[in-house]
Amino acid sequence: MNKKGVKWLYQELPELVGKGILSQEASRKIKEYYGEVKSASSTAVALIICGTIGALLIGLGIILLLAHNWEHLSRLTRGILSFAPLVIGQALALWVLLKRPGSGAFKEGSAAFLCLMVGASIALVSQTYNIPGDTGTFVLTWMLLIAPLVYLMEASLPAAVYLVGITVWGGSNFEYPLKAVLFWPLAAVVIPHFIWSLRREIYALRSAILSLVMFVCFSIAAVFSLGRSWANSWIIIFPSLYAVLYLVGQLKIGGFTTNWQRPLRLLGSLGLFIIAFQFTFLYVWEFDAGNYALSGRSVLDVRSLPDNIITLAIIVIAMLLFYDNVKRRNVIVSLFGALPLLAIFAYLAGSGRGQEYLPRLIFNIYLFVLSVSQIMGGIRKTSLPALNTGMLMLALLIITRFFDSDIGFVLKGLVFIIIGIGFLSVNVAFVRRGGGAR
Amino acid sequence: MNRRLIIGLFLCVALAQVGVPLSMILRRELVLTQGAYFKFETAPVDPYDAFRGRYVALAIKEDNVPAITDARLSQGQRVFALIGLDGRGFAKLTSAVTARPRGKDYIQARVRYVSEGKLYLDLPIDRYYMEEGAAPMAETVYREHVSRDKQDAYAAVRVKDGFPVIAGLYVGGQKIEDAVRQKATPPKALYNKQQAP
Repeated sequence: MNKKGVKWLYQELPELVGKGILSQEASRKIKEYYGEVKSASSTAVALIICGTIGALLIGLGIILLLAHNWEHLSRLTRGILSFAPLVIGQALALWVLLKRPGSGAFKEGSAAFLCLMVGASIALVSQTYNIPGDTGTFVLTWMLLIAPLVYLMEASLPAAVYLVGITVWGGSNFEYPLKAVLFWPLAAVVIPHFIWSLRREIYALRSAILSLVMFVCFSIAAVFSLGRSWANSWIIIFPSLYAVLYLVGQLKIGGFTTNWQRPLRLLGSLGLFIIAFQFTFLYVWEFDAGNYALSGRSVLDVRSLPDNIITLAIIVIAMLLFYDNVKRRNVIVSLFGALPLLAIFAYLAGSGRGQEYLPRLIFNIYLFVLSVSQIMGGIRKTSLPALNTGMLMLALLIITRFFDSDIGFVLKGLVFIIIGIGFLSVNVAFVRRGGGAR
Repeated sequence: MNRRLIIGLFLCVALAQVGVPLSMILRRELVLTQGAYFKFETAPVDPYDAFRGRYVALAIKEDNVPAITDARLSQGQRVFALIGLDGRGFAKLTSAVTARPRGKDYIQARVRYVSEGKLYLDLPIDRYYMEEGAAPMAETVYREHVSRDKQDAYAAVRVKDGFPVIAGLYVGGQKIEDAVRQKATPPKALYNKQQAP
């Protein structure tokens, strides 16, 4: 049972008792059964948010002040200045660890501040000694120095900063795929923290922010580090990546119920839908798989091996999670999770010239089935958001196909009529079962 | 986790956080005091770095050497460029080798590309940080010098064991900071004179 429901029930209890529907005894027993509703107090959340934003702003301000590059400062003064903010940040964090180990706000804020001060320190040294403009190395050094804070201070902001930082580093190594692919092992460092934050219900906000950052960083990283040696690899990689995120979001970690508390599920399904929607367009399938090798590497090259291993791992995880959901007969979840499988099939079948119609047909049908099942699911659970989402998905598909200039009018017209008839027959079936519109 | 352990680990991390910038400083101070002195002819232009401040980008004029014929080089590969002097006393990269040279002055650099028998290098002398307002003016100062056919901008660099550290940037024989300051003051002085009775 979710927290909201219990809260509502508790509000109703006095009235139910007053009207004699429930006895005092029953009301007490209900309360005993569900226990106390724990929720993060809004002051605690406000403290964390304000504390973190304040610490971030001060940290960024210090970085800007140092970036002015005060000319008349001697190298010695600059040396001292390089360490002063850093040591202050460390002292603050240490004080929090010693005196306020239980305070999320203090930990989050001081860790965020220290993160920035580490960067400020390295930046000022770079400035003083005119260190070459290798952004990647600068950022990586910085990130490796702050990564332990994620665990020592149990803070999510350093984790988010770290993820963004290693994405920048990986991106700056776009031309060196062997380095760029190291993004994934580096990113794995924060995964245990992410799972930990998911388990701690009271911090729904921070796991949501972390999920969002993770989603964006992983998407960018997939572009610069995965499938670099084969044509249009994104057709398989992105569905697999988003399917993994989506299906992991479905796993029962703690007792989450809302989308806000399960950001991966929301973001993953959004990603999957957008990708599937892309797949219904012609341009995706107009590629020549034969003539392609980025960075002069072929798929079988040894240097492509790390890239291929991680790609394969993501695909396999997506498949396993998909299989698990099929086994448990989660229809809608499995439908979303089926995208990688379809993508692989379409990729293999549709890569030849003149074959482009096949993948487009597959994904139009797929999206149609997906949105209709979403609508059905919404009706069955009497969930208006789910119903509306399904309707929106379907509307988008219909509108796009209506204006699609690649398909002949006659064919389009016929398909629209057939689908319309299909809908009416479903409605009729519903009426017979006594559930539809009368 | 045990609280003592956390504090202990935190102190280790803090030590590393201090140690990294400290080692960066020490290494460069060592080069600045003990390294060999060279003047690299350069052209300063003005970009921006949000984190580290404003700088002038340095385009070293002699950034190529005759290509190495007996080795296949890939982009980004580490090579060692030997430094000699040209007739005017400026540094000139004479050749590049793949093994670390002994007893000679050299700079560790990366291969950018090879073209027409020349090997172009990414030298680790590519930016010179200046005060916020000074960097754009430094570019103007340099351009004025170029237009007067006085292309005498150079970066003073100290080099030790292949590791270069920029000691200063000079235009027209004076430090760029001084040249910028001079450029910033004269119009004001002129204005004051005209106003004087």
